[in-house]
Amino acid sequence: MDITLVKEAKRGSRNALVRLIMDEKQDYYRLAYAYTKNQDDALDALADMIVILYEKISVLKNEACFDTWSRTILVNCCKQILRKKKKIILFDKMPEISHEGEFRQKEQEILLDSALSKLSPKHQEVLKLRFFLDFEYQTIAEILKIPVGTVRSRISTGLAKLKNILGDENYGGN
Amino acid sequence: MAEIEDMLRKQGEKFNQIEPPPEMEERLHLALENSSMRKRSGKMWSLRVAVLIMILFLFGSQIDSFAYYGKKLLGYDQIMTGTLRELNELGSGQTIGKSYTFKNGVSITLDGIMLDDNQMLVFYTMKDPRGTVDELYSNHSMSLRGLFKEYQMHSGQGNMNEEKTVMKNMFQFQAPLFFEKKLKLTFYLGEGAQKETGEIPFTLDWTKAMGHSIKKPLQAVMEIDGNKIRFDSIIASPTTTVIKGQIQSIWALAQDEMKGERIRPYYMDLKLLANGREVSRQGSGISTGMKGITFHQEFDALPKDLKELKLQLASFTADFDVHEEVELNINDREKSLEILGQKIVINEVFHKNGDTFIKITSEENVVLTQVDLIIDNEKVDLEETTTDQYEKKADGAILHTRILRFPGSGSKLKLDIQRIVYEKNYHKTMDIPLD
Repeated sequence: MDITLVKEAKRGSRNALVRLIMDEKQDYYRLAYAYTKNQDDALDALADMIVILYEKISVLKNEACFDTWSRTILVNCCKQILRKKKKIILFDKMPEISHEGEFRQKEQEILLDSALSKLSPKHQEVLKLRFFLDFEYQTIAEILKIPVGTVRSRISTGLAKLKNILGDENYGGN
Repeated sequence: MAEIEDMLRKQGEKFNQIEPPPEMEERLHLALENSSMRKRSGKMWSLRVAVLIMILFLFGSQIDSFAYYGKKLLGYDQIMTGTLRELNELGSGQTIGKSYTFKNGVSITLDGIMLDDNQMLVFYTMKDPRGTVDELYSNHSMSLRGLFKEYQMHSGQGNMNEEKTVMKNMFQFQAPLFFEKKLKLTFYLGEGAQKETGEIPFTLDWTKAMGHSIKKPLQAVMEIDGNKIRFDSIIASPTTTVIKGQIQSIWALAQDEMKGERIRPYYMDLKLLANGREVSRQGSGISTGMKGITFHQEFDALPKDLKELKLQLASFTADFDVHEEVELNINDREKSLEILGQKIVINEVFHKNGDTFIKITSEENVVLTQVDLIIDNEKVDLEETTTDQYEKKADGAILHTRILRFPGSGSKLKLDIQRIVYEKNYHKTMDIPLD
């Protein structure tokens, strides 16, 4: 991260602010995507984030903290979108196959996704940040503004619950 | 626990492949430019919402008084099955007759519903004076909400007039819970950047609900090739008959996934025989979720004079993990392979314009769903499948010949087949006791 860009952004430069995000566009986009799970909402969250950053960057005291600060705001914007979002059911759900290689099934994703969705949002988010985005405990703690100990305990509780959810279904079928 | 961490990490790998779309930068600039304008328009919007709510309120109360105008739903004959037409003739179901008109002039009228233990059928008319009701159909979606939950939509169909101004639709929803009284059907209409939501609230009349004739657990298992298909329940109601069950438990599924031996069922050809005659099939679904791989199969309503009921598994189509490597030579002709009992013939292997082509023949329902070619120890993805030819044999089997094209060429070739789909016939039958 370029500290001079942060300083420029603090002085009101919109271009500098956009540059700061675009320099690490993959990281920002993937973080938004981890929460929203689709492109439209991820872009909406990023747009909401940059407006808040622009309005509040003048009060950011330590420029070196821009990364964590902006990611915390992004996470909050994603959560806001998820709260507002209405569930729309799509008509066409059935995939079709007719040829070799056209098809890439996603059951494992669906399986884990639905298991994850049974966890509380607090546990879901730490597991995604840790395992999907490969964030360190410390980074997660800073972004979510919770102690590292809490991150650790949420991850281990989350994993245990996930195991229970998968294991609980073991009674069926056999 | 480590297994679960591995599964999570494996799933996480896809995040490393997600790339931000090219429009991201523009979106950020636009958001900043619009941010000051957005604040100003906020108040206007809330005023508009207030006006809209008032109008809806006035209209809403007027429309209610027009409800229950008749007993039979008109204009739905073409999309109703025979059973539904009979029920409609008898005046079963509840007429509603409430409308919502969108800003673009499109109106949606909820004509009526039919409710029994299996499903709630929603009948509605879409009117588009512009004559684009067909486009509208693909740009609209809906949800049904009760007191505590949203009811899932299963399927639907529509029928429009030649002018494309009127479309009659029938959609099937999960049956609402017994305590629900007031439901709300919400339509989402999106045309370009314009999105609008229209709501039609209505009250369920449970005296019009049609219940069921058979509702029982089945607790039956059919074993096929080491897999147990479990039949859980049957609910026969006046509109439809639904059989539910499980193909694989979540635990078996997770274990197979870890071992790389997954079975992904595509289609189960299940027949329901009532008094020895096949009951027509209405729909089916297989889903993978927290309960493992589950299925439901829907048939028409059962005959009234039911004496005997049988269930027959005719065939099962699934995608199997196989991991089969086959060494090929450039001049190979008519080389025969057998994978999971399915015959696949490599008719020809040739190079052309720097690419490698492999011509194969198999039975029509056999597809190599995941196949790569290893050219001089380097794996290349399948580029395309071309020149399909079908040939019907004297015994009724249909053979499918096609050419697979892989980019690049080399002297050492190995076909790496990872997954294969095929249909297997079983014809296993079981009785469903009627007591």
